[in-house]
Amino acid sequence: MRNKISNYLNNGDLKRFRFWLQLSLFIFFVYGGYIAINIGDSLPTFSCTYVDGKPGTCFLVPLQHRMVTTPEKLFSYAGTAILTGLFYFTLWFLVFNKAWCGYACPLGAVQDWITALRKKIGMPYATYSWGQFKLLKKIKYILLLLLIFIPMGIGSGIFSHDMGVPFCMICPARTILPIFSGDFSQLTIDFSSKTKMIMTSLGMLITGIFLVGAFVKKRFFCFFCPMSALHYLLSKPAFLKLKKDGSKCTKCGDCYSVCDMQIKEIADNITDRNILQDDCIMCFKCVAACPEDGALEVDFMGQPIFEATVQGYIKRMEKANKNG
Amino acid sequence: MDNQLQAEKKNVPFNRTHQAIEAERMLRRIKDGFQDNPVAMDYFYDLYEQVYCKGESLHKDEKVIGTMCVQVPDELIYAAGGIPVRLCNGFYTDDQVGAEFMPAKSCSLVKATLGMLDKRSTLSFVDKVENIILPATCDQKRKAGSMISEMGYEVYNMEVPPVKESEEARLYWQRSVHNFAVSLKKITGQKITKANLKEALAKVAAAQKAYRTLHNLRKMAPSIFLGKDAFMVTNAYFFDKIENWTEAVNKLNAELEQRITEKITAAQRRAPRLLFTGSPAIFPNLKLPVLIEESGGVIVADETCSSSRMLYDMVAVDEYNTENMVASIADNYLKPCTCPIFTKNDDRKRKLINMARDFAVDGVVYQAFSGCQVYQMEHSSIAKALKAEGAPMLFVESDYSPDDMGQLSTRIEAFIESLKAKRRRKR
Repeated sequence: MRNKISNYLNNGDLKRFRFWLQLSLFIFFVYGGYIAINIGDSLPTFSCTYVDGKPGTCFLVPLQHRMVTTPEKLFSYAGTAILTGLFYFTLWFLVFNKAWCGYACPLGAVQDWITALRKKIGMPYATYSWGQFKLLKKIKYILLLLLIFIPMGIGSGIFSHDMGVPFCMICPARTILPIFSGDFSQLTIDFSSKTKMIMTSLGMLITGIFLVGAFVKKRFFCFFCPMSALHYLLSKPAFLKLKKDGSKCTKCGDCYSVCDMQIKEIADNITDRNILQDDCIMCFKCVAACPEDGALEVDFMGQPIFEATVQGYIKRMEKANKNG
Repeated sequence: MDNQLQAEKKNVPFNRTHQAIEAERMLRRIKDGFQDNPVAMDYFYDLYEQVYCKGESLHKDEKVIGTMCVQVPDELIYAAGGIPVRLCNGFYTDDQVGAEFMPAKSCSLVKATLGMLDKRSTLSFVDKVENIILPATCDQKRKAGSMISEMGYEVYNMEVPPVKESEEARLYWQRSVHNFAVSLKKITGQKITKANLKEALAKVAAAQKAYRTLHNLRKMAPSIFLGKDAFMVTNAYFFDKIENWTEAVNKLNAELEQRITEKITAAQRRAPRLLFTGSPAIFPNLKLPVLIEESGGVIVADETCSSSRMLYDMVAVDEYNTENMVASIADNYLKPCTCPIFTKNDDRKRKLINMARDFAVDGVVYQAFSGCQVYQMEHSSIAKALKAEGAPMLFVESDYSPDDMGQLSTRIEAFIESLKAKRRRKR
């Protein structure tokens, strides 16, 4: 029985499964609030607070709000609020790890749909050179630091309150996701103050870059996402894991060539068992594209739930070669 | 000498030429020297007879493109409407002809290939080859290129990086493959498009799927399939029509699965299981594998560029546009390649250790052609790595000449006896 189930899963069509799950979760995160769902404000994904029908809120919003405080308060009651938020965020995160990015994130889904559009046109995707990759991947950590320190600066009176939620101001989720509930109001520049004007203009500019970027590069924004950086800091103890058995790897590079995030380690690293890298969005396309039995696997609390098998690989490849 | 050979070619019917006799002798040994060959093997025996003993062409009105190493992507040639034929040759007769091009102590395979391409050889007339794709792999192949072009062939030199781990190497090779894909249009007259490349990918993938099944069937213990036949199968991929080959391998797989249920084995239960690695065993130079199996061993797996290295790793494509397909194909022909010309051989060690485990082998036979420096140089590090795994290794330096047959059979018998004794001790 156990064998039958694991065979069924390993032979599964990951692409189809992922498409439908992403679509369902997108609907949930954009319209769930309309049926009175509220799952809190510590979600480890872009359940954007600017979306009318949101069923919950992205953790970065309360984090930025709560960091607007003085150092004294930070080490007393304000700190408690931040830690409580972080606690709930960690709970959510620990269960699904970075699969929040690959399966749940509505902005991720939008990028995948833009990619599908490009694919239809038959345009090849762009990639970064290795040098660019190493340089650009640091941006998400810088953004994470900024979204913590700018609010602290506001609290200490260094920055104006108009700088509030600075990351949200430049986040493309704020401008794009509300569109799906018919709200175009975020696509404006706020002239009420100089700071607001600069921040909202930057937001518009980044939205433009996002749309173009996502069109030429797979998962363009994820590479810079501070949420992804925050995820990685907590990913070691998470229940869902991406594991590699280096002794079974022939370094054929199939996993690397399907990777949306250009993660080289997935193919080249043959020593680490826990192969999750900071840029990984846990879409598990690599596992589906691996032709070596047991070389890559997805574990949940030590139980393999999706394993690379040659049989599954051939099944998926033949389908892909036919439909392309 | 020249005239003599010319005369021979003109007057002697194909099946009486030196090559045909050499081929027939080995074929008979492989076919008749063993009992209970799978019925599906007849396809392959007949194929070799047709090509090498009778000299019949398989690709009459096709654009045949000769390839000189595993690194040439077959998918691209098929997509451009050509038929890739691996020219790596195993004939002693050609080795002797080729000897005049190369220094005395050089690789038999390279010499035999040169000898075959020399207009005096009978084999060069089997399939008319004008264009030859030569990846810059080892020194001898590299230098053979200019000699081959002096013979009047169009040689396309494909650049291969000497290091394969770095990002630079990957990009360099991707560019090299890309340029090759573009140049193919000039050779065949057909442009590689999304549609024909996709079709070619599926064609090669189907062949690899069949191979992978056969490869895994050889894990069975006691063994249900002999290594000499496995070499005949993979070697046929060099020149056979790919669809026919795939179909024949699938039939063979079905028969072998049938044999499992009927409990028919190809070797004795106690026959030592061997892994074959090193310089490729190419028909009719199958003397080492045949000697091993005549002496009671059974080759259950092989790691050579005439078999597993050529067919094992399969290409996965994320997006089916020509550019990305070509890049994925390129990666697949470089990254997993365990050719000893690359600086490091960690991947080869890992692969051999993994194979030794997976196929439960008792020992390893490492063939190096005298003159093939890269294989000779890797031998001690491989022996060490395998020893640490508990797999003893026999290093055999040999060439195409039949002179060392006696010496070889003594060494192989002794090795197999020692493995048997080790097994007994274990029990």
